[in-house]
This record gives sequence, structure tokens and C-alpha cells, in this order.
Amino acid sequence: MRGITKKFPGVLASDNVDFDVRAGEVHTLLGENGAGKSTLMKILYGLYQQDEGEILLHGKPVQLTSPANAIAHGIGMIHQHFMLVPTLTVAENVSLGLKSTRGALTDLKTVSRRITELSKTFGLHVYPDEHVWKLSVGERQRVEIIKALYRDASILILDEPTAVLTPSEVDDIFVIFRRLAEDGRGLVFISHKLKEVLDLSDKITVLRHGRVTGDTTPAKSDRHDLAQMMVGREVKLAPDKHEVETGVPLLVIEDLYVDGDRGRHAVQGLNLEVKSGEILGIAGISGNGQRELAEAIAGLRTPQSGKITINGQDTTASKPAKIRKVGLSYVPEERMKDGAVGDFDVKENLILLNHNSEPFCKNGLLNFREICSHSEKLVKEYAVKTPSIDATTKNLSGGNIQKLIMARELSAGPKVLLASQPTRGVDIGAAEYIHERISQQRQRGTASVVISEDLDEVMALSDRIAVMFDGKIMGIINQEDATRESIGLMMTGEEQEAASV
Amino acid sequence: MNDSFAVMIIVATIASGIRLATPFLLASLGEALGQRSGVLNLGVDGVMLLGAFGAYYMVLQTNNLYYGLLVGIGLGLIIGLFYAFITLNLRAEQGVSGIGIYLFGLGMSDLLFQKFVGTPRPILPFMPLDIPVLSGLPIVGEMLFQHSIIVYIAFALVPVMSFVLHRTTYGLNIRAIGENPEAADSLGVSVMATRYSAIIIGNGLAGLAGAALAIELGIFQQNLTNAMGFIAIALVYFGAWSPKGVMIGSLVFGLVQAIVLQCKTFGVIPRSASDLAAMAPAIITILALVVVAKRFKQPAALTKPYVRGG
Amino acid sequence: MKKFNLYLSAAFLALILLSPSALLASGKALKVAIIAPSAQNDLAFTQSIVDGIKAIQKDREIELAITDGTFVVEDAAAAIRDYAKKGFDLVLAHGSQYGGSLKEIAPDFPDTAFAWGTSADTFGLANVSSYEAASDEGGYVMGVMAAAMSKKGGVGVVGPIEVGDAKLYVDGFVQGAKAQNAKIRAKVNYIGSFSDVALAAEAARAHMAAGADVLTGTAQMVVGAIGAARAKRVPWFGTQANQTELAPEIVVASQVYKWDVILNKIIADMDAGVKGGKMYKINLANGGIVIEFNDAYKLDASVKEAGMKAIAGIKDGSIKTGHK
Repeated sequence: MRGITKKFPGVLASDNVDFDVRAGEVHTLLGENGAGKSTLMKILYGLYQQDEGEILLHGKPVQLTSPANAIAHGIGMIHQHFMLVPTLTVAENVSLGLKSTRGALTDLKTVSRRITELSKTFGLHVYPDEHVWKLSVGERQRVEIIKALYRDASILILDEPTAVLTPSEVDDIFVIFRRLAEDGRGLVFISHKLKEVLDLSDKITVLRHGRVTGDTTPAKSDRHDLAQMMVGREVKLAPDKHEVETGVPLLVIEDLYVDGDRGRHAVQGLNLEVKSGEILGIAGISGNGQRELAEAIAGLRTPQSGKITINGQDTTASKPAKIRKVGLSYVPEERMKDGAVGDFDVKENLILLNHNSEPFCKNGLLNFREICSHSEKLVKEYAVKTPSIDATTKNLSGGNIQKLIMARELSAGPKVLLASQPTRGVDIGAAEYIHERISQQRQRGTASVVISEDLDEVMALSDRIAVMFDGKIMGIINQEDATRESIGLMMTGEEQEAASV
Repeated sequence: MNDSFAVMIIVATIASGIRLATPFLLASLGEALGQRSGVLNLGVDGVMLLGAFGAYYMVLQTNNLYYGLLVGIGLGLIIGLFYAFITLNLRAEQGVSGIGIYLFGLGMSDLLFQKFVGTPRPILPFMPLDIPVLSGLPIVGEMLFQHSIIVYIAFALVPVMSFVLHRTTYGLNIRAIGENPEAADSLGVSVMATRYSAIIIGNGLAGLAGAALAIELGIFQQNLTNAMGFIAIALVYFGAWSPKGVMIGSLVFGLVQAIVLQCKTFGVIPRSASDLAAMAPAIITILALVVVAKRFKQPAALTKPYVRGG
Repeated sequence: MKKFNLYLSAAFLALILLSPSALLASGKALKVAIIAPSAQNDLAFTQSIVDGIKAIQKDREIELAITDGTFVVEDAAAAIRDYAKKGFDLVLAHGSQYGGSLKEIAPDFPDTAFAWGTSADTFGLANVSSYEAASDEGGYVMGVMAAAMSKKGGVGVVGPIEVGDAKLYVDGFVQGAKAQNAKIRAKVNYIGSFSDVALAAEAARAHMAAGADVLTGTAQMVVGAIGAARAKRVPWFGTQANQTELAPEIVVASQVYKWDVILNKIIADMDAGVKGGKMYKINLANGGIVIEFNDAYKLDASVKEAGMKAIAGIKDGSIKTGHK
């Protein structure tokens, strides 16, 4: 792949990337979420088309316009979310989309025989007549591999294949991957787990913000090097920090357990304490329980056990409205889903919190004069760029919607501020402004929590940094002591070394 | 009442149940096909009405029953094409679009009838087609093998559709797309083309169901189907989306209707309970639905439009 | 959106002002509206009332508006109110299911005369009259003839739901059949629906299987039963309209309603300033009910004679149909 560039509205997902994979090797694409790994591979698999650049297969340029096209060129992909039909058998799943030897009729006998052969050759232990819904996650993944092998894939893309596996399953699958490479296939391994990358790879390419930031091999690098390449861009201007005396703890979380959408504990025995006048950053790769934690604090998700105290009051199972009254302001992760109503205009979104209390509402009627003057003031104060306070919110840019939400939340005068991914997808100018605003909360004596995947953001804003992995806090470091390496390591599941506390 | 008379009545009742089941069977086979591909169509009754009127009018003009059946199927195919376009290309909400199709069919069939026919005029229906040898058998002969050709067609479609769904690549594609269109797409199966074809064929069957009804009855009038299309949708759930299950459902519904009728004729059901008894087929279907259908899951992608990467 | 609405209402207003009904309102034409559950050419219940008004139109200028096919009662209620609002002189709610709505609407329009049927209830309102047909009389006559025709000694009836006009006809039919032949097996099947044509067809087949060789039935869905009877060449007696067209080979005779008989009375009363409170009834004696024979059907002279005798007996009161 040469000079691949792909733009999405507002994002440069892939910026002039060169990448190659040779027969018999495992070449890793390493990067944080959103670094552009998946985009690159979706282009290779024909799901997206590149805006610029070309793809060469066996030295010849090719146009990959659809998955079918990519398959025909010998490219197979093991998707992060399995592409299997649970109600069908293994053989049916494998034969889907294939030309049958019997014309319009399926030929499951031939398919089954081939599956058994392939399964034996590579030690996959896949049985063609089983229904997929009966299989374990590890078995399903091997079905995915069979699917690709059956189509004679010479290049296999493995999109975070270990994300859903248990450690022993990971060991097993690595043996299979090596065997596939030895058999002459080229493997592209996508991951952000440093240990696994070093274990499996022949070559490593690191991506950040859609650009290649490093090419190396396991022999030349160790985990620290990789972590630096993965997260290390030049530090942005950190907001000016005034010395602030921290006060009493305003947010206390004790032994908290919260279930995720899929039932199992997403937050497991978490303890945290945030004091007045300090900012605690929570770093970590998303999907490690941050969303569930935020929702539990905000009252949107009921914890299974444990205790949450805000401003001295137990709010563990309280309703969101009550928690707000106690003094929580919440900037949610999904700004357009949970943060603002896209079809409302700016002023309506600005009074969402207190539209049913004075002065905006008297005797059940909205007081528009009061609402307008309040909105005008906030829009000016928080530099929200909008044609007017009557503009429909969803037409504003991401950064301005976020500023609007910040304006609403901060104008409530919080005791505790909880901001989740406050600058994700926001342009740099707006991001800096939002950082400034959050930072100012320290002087007000607010206890702030900033949850972010962006390590730079966490390090610039926080007084203390907690790293979350698999629903637990791996460790908490003071900002002065924090290095990208130490945080990067904890983000991938390494316990904090005792010395650096 | 002597024994041979009782046997004759039982035979007549079962034959009646089979006749009553036929339009339900055709319509629910079509609906099942669409739903297996992940598309719900609540407009079946409207399609049936248009098919019924089209077939009736064609027979009135040409006196050819087969032309009537073809017109019924043809109208179904056309509406299917339209429905596929609005649900697949425009990604309109399927529940509402289906109701739209129903209201369109209900109103349009009546309007066309008033405009082009006016006063109901009868057409000659299909005469029973006795299957040689088999129809001569005692008891089963009259019960199963002395029906009109439409009945045979409907029941023959059951194994045909089972075969298509389970033994052909096309059927495999339909089953996969109804469950996980992304998986099918990732292997190069066209979600769009497969769903289009399933919807069009499914609506063609609904049109045929309407045509069959009008031709069997030899008449058309406003709202001839009397919401049969909606029962057919319920029967798809009853039958757990399988052709065989749908057939059993249709037969149960038709037979219960026939038995209730026969019981009323002989006064087994008192006249005071007559209206209550008329609800029996619906009630039994709902009960069976609760008991049977709970064990089966609907196609996972049902009513969900597919957008690549979305 | 607001603008669009404005245009729409302006256009609507213009339409009302220019419509023939508005122009005629200044003249002397009597404005009559009919709201009915099925199609106006259904060869049954609805057509009978439309034909009735049309018969009167020959002698008198009547501006007629029809809303048919309103099997949904709420739609009918909206139409009834709408016509009253528009200043129609007489609003005919032609369906026993419309009574409840009429009871609520009529007091709001004291200047409008309402009539509804079939029923005997005027709710004690001064501007509501009711009308019904003594369909038991026709039923009785049909029953006599059916029993006289039956060779197997069995006749069958396909009915909708056991109410109103249908119940009267069916009861009369059974009574007549029994009067003709005390041993007749007269089986009645109320299928539970006014609209399930397929079920009506099977009900007719069930009757035939059970040994009925003459059939009758009432309400809109009997077209299915007639079709089934026709396939087996089983004679059929019709009611509510002349059903000969539906099956010329098997329809023996039909009971036909001539509503113009009582409509004339209602209009005459209106001219005299009486807007309601009265009950009207058509029957054999006043010529509102007529038995129309199908000339193409070769009917045994003795059967026809029995029928004519029954008609005469009912007219002169010597025969009672069993209904009050």
C-alpha cells in the first residue's frame, strides 16, 4: 500500500501511509484507537476506497472495490466483531458467497470435507456440522480463519483478534498464526497490546493520527519504545496552572461494581477519591469500564454494589436529577446522543437542565425573555460560534456543540465536574479552549474528573492520573511523576510498579 | 346420526379447513420469505386485495382463470418492487410503510372495483381437479384430492420453498442476510439484490393468495380479504419462519374455523355462544403463538435496514 | 408549513363556495345525506336505501350526498356530524351500528332531521326517527317456499351476527319453513362476521354436506355462500336486494326493500314540521317489502303457489310470522 490517504468529514483517517506485508511474515500495525489502523485495513479489504494512493498486490496495482473483490484477490480478514451467522452451521457459514460446484444448489458435502482437511492441517479443531451459536468465542474465531483459508487467502488481516480471547486462547491462536505464516501467507496483525505485538510480530509499523510514526522490529524495540511511538506526540501547550490548595474530598467512590451492557462486570471493585480543587484524569483504552463508571456516577446506570458519595451525600442509586442537585455537572462521552438534543435550537439546549424552574419557567410557562438573555450571555462567555441562539444545534460543529454543553454544565456551578472524552473529534482550537475552562474549575474549588483516551490531554490537565484497565484502576500517579511510558504500560494491563506511587 | 354420515361430515370439515387454509398459506409463505431476508411487510392484506381485484377483473374480461392468477401474481411483483425500493433504497421504516401499502391496497382495490365493475358480477371459479387414482380413495380421496388446482399449488410450494431455503445457495444467502447481513456482505453476497428478490417474490405470493381467494369465491367486493393478510403475518411467527411451520399454522387456523362452522351447523355450539366461537381460531392462534413461538427467535436482522459500515 | 395550511384552507373555502351544493342551497331542493356501511351498489343493504331515495328523486328535487363504505363507526360519526353542520335537511344513518353516535350528535343539531335504521329506537329525541323492515315477513315467505322445495328435508341459513335485520329475516325464515313442513331440518349458522366472504362460502358448503338442499342467507358476506351454492346448483333465496344477477341459475326469489315507501312518509312529515320522534316500518302490506321472483328459474307451480298464499296471509293478518 503506497501513499494511502482517506478523509472522512472532519478527520484525516489515513494520511499518506505506506505499508507492506511479505509472504511468510507477521507485520503488526500498532496504534491507539482512532490511529487509523482499521481504516487502512478496511481499504485493503475493499470496504472503503482510498482517496489517494495505490495498492499493489504481488507487484501489480489493483482496485479493491468490494469485499468480494478483495477476496478474489486472495485477501482475507478476521474481523474484530465476528462476521458469522449464528443460526447457520460452520459449513454453511464457510460456503456463504462461494460459487457452488452444483450450480444453484449448495454443496455442503464438498465444503465440509475441505473444512475438515484445513482444520487438520492447521490444528484448528473446527467441525463443519456444528451450529455457530453453540461455539465458544475461541472456536468462532477459528471458524473465521477457516473461512479465509477456504478462500485461499494469501494475505490475512487480523483485526484485534485477541480482544475477546482468554489468555490461554491467545497462546493457542498465536501458534496457529505462526503456522499460517510459515505456510507462506502474509499476516497483518492489528493490536494495541504491546506484549502480544512483541511476541508475534516480525515487523511493526506504528500509526498515530493516521500517520506512520515508526517502523521497527521486536529485536530493535522494547515495550517502552513502542509505547512512546504509540502515544508520543509533542506536548501541547498545557493550560496555565495556578497553585491551588486542595480541600475536602467531594467525590468518593468505594469498592464499586457496575455491570456492562453484556452483563459481566465492566467496573470491578473500583476506589477513587477526588478533592476540591483538583483534577483527576482517568486514562485508558476505551472499553475498559470508563463509560460504565461515568454513567454510574451520573446516575444513568445502577451499580451492582459499592458506594458513590458526592459532596458528602450518598448518591449510589439516586436518580440523575437528584445527583445534579447535589452538585454534579456531567459532560457525556456521546455528545450528540447524551449531551444535547440535535433538533433543539441553541437556547433550548442551554436551558435543558433548569427549564422547569425559575427564572426560565413560571407557572409552567417558559419565560422566553429570560431564556434569551441567559443564552446570549452564555454563548458570548463560552465563545460558542453560532449564527444565533435560534440556530438548530445539530448544524453546529463538534467543537461548538461541546462548548455549548460545557457552557450549560459549568454555568450550573458544579461541586463535581465529570467530563468524558471532552475533546474527542474536536478541533485543536476548541480543545484548547475546553481545556482552559476545565482547568479554571480548580480555582473554583470544583473536584473534576476527566476521562480520556487521549494521553496528552490527560497529562496536560490532571493533577493526578489514574489508569483504568479491565474495570480496575491499575495505579494513580501524580502529574509530575507521570511519563507516557509508565502510563502507556498501565493502559495495556501492566500493574503499576510499587516504587512510583 | 349413523357412522357413515359422521365420517362424511368429518371428511367435509377437513376438506373445508384445507380450502380455508389455502389463502393464508400462500400469503404467509410469501411473508416468511421476506422476513427470512430481514424485511417485515405489514402490507400483505393490501397486496392480497389488489391481487384479488386484478385477478377477478381479468377473469371477468377474458374468462380465463389462469390469466387471473397471473395478473394477481404480477400485481404482487410490482408492489413488491415498489416496497423493496422504499424500504431498501429509501430505508423507510418498515412497519409504517407496510401499513401504507395495506391502506393503499384496501382503498385502491375498492376504487378500481367501483370504477370498472360497480355491481358485483360473479365469475366461474375453478372446478375441483380430481387427482387420478388418489381422488378415488375412500375418505382421503375426498378429503385431500378433490380440490381446485390452487390448493395443490399452495401446498406444493411448501416443500419447494423448504428446498430453496435449505438446499440452494440463494436460500443460504437469504437465511444469512436475515440474521447477519454484515457477514454476508463481507463475503461478497449482495444484501440488496437478495432482499429485493425475496421481497418481490414474497409479494408475488401475496398477490397470488388474493387471486386465489377471489377466484375460489368467484366474486370480488370491498375488503374481500377481511384482514386475512394480518392473520398470515401472525402465522409466520406461529410457524417460526419455516415453510412447514407456516403450513401447520395455516392448517390449524383453517381447520379450527371449519370445525367451529360445522359445530354451529349442528348446533353443538349454542347460538348464544356463536359470536364467541367465531373468535376461536384467533384465540387458538394467539395461544399457540405464545407457547410455540417463544422457543424460536425471529431473524436477528428483521426490520433493520442494512448500511455498509453503519 | 403555516403558509401551506393557509393556502389549503383558502382553496377549500373557494371549493365550498363554488360547489353545486352551495349553489343549490339557495333553491328549494331538499338536501338528503346517506351514511352507510357498505358500497352503494352492493346489491344488498346499502343499495336498497340509495335506490329508495333515487325513486323519490323522480318526483321531487332532492340533492343527494352519499358517504358509503364507512364500516368504521367513527368515520360514519364524523360524516354524520359533517352533513348536519353543512345544513342538510335529512341525514340518514343507514346502519344499526350507528345508533350510539347518532344519539350523541342529534341533540347538537335540532334543526336537522335524522333517521336511522334498522331500529325501532328514537332515543326519545324530537329530531330522530327510526325505520325498520319487517324482514321476518319476507323471511317467512322464503321459508315456506324453501321447505316446499326441499327433497332431502333440510334447509340451511347463513347469517352474520344474530342482531337486527338479519335476526328478523332468519327467525322468519325458520318459522315459515316449519309452518310448511313441521319435520324440516332448518339449520342456522351465524358465522360471526359481516365481511368474511370465504367463511360464508364454507358455511354454505357445511350446510350442503349436512344435507341441506335449499339455502338462504343475509348480509354482505353472503356473496361467498351464493358462489358455493351455485357451484353445486343448490337453490338460493335472497334478501335485502334482488340477487338474481349474482347467480341466475339458482336464485329463486329475493326479498327486496322499497324504502321509498317510508322515505316518502318521513319527508311528508318533515314538510308538516315533524322532524322526528316517530318509527317507520316497511312491510308486505304497505308495499315496502316486495318478493321478486327470478323468471329464469323454473319454479314448481305448487311452490310458487305456497309462497303467494303466505304473502296474502301475512298481508291480511291471518298468518303471524312469530315476531311480535
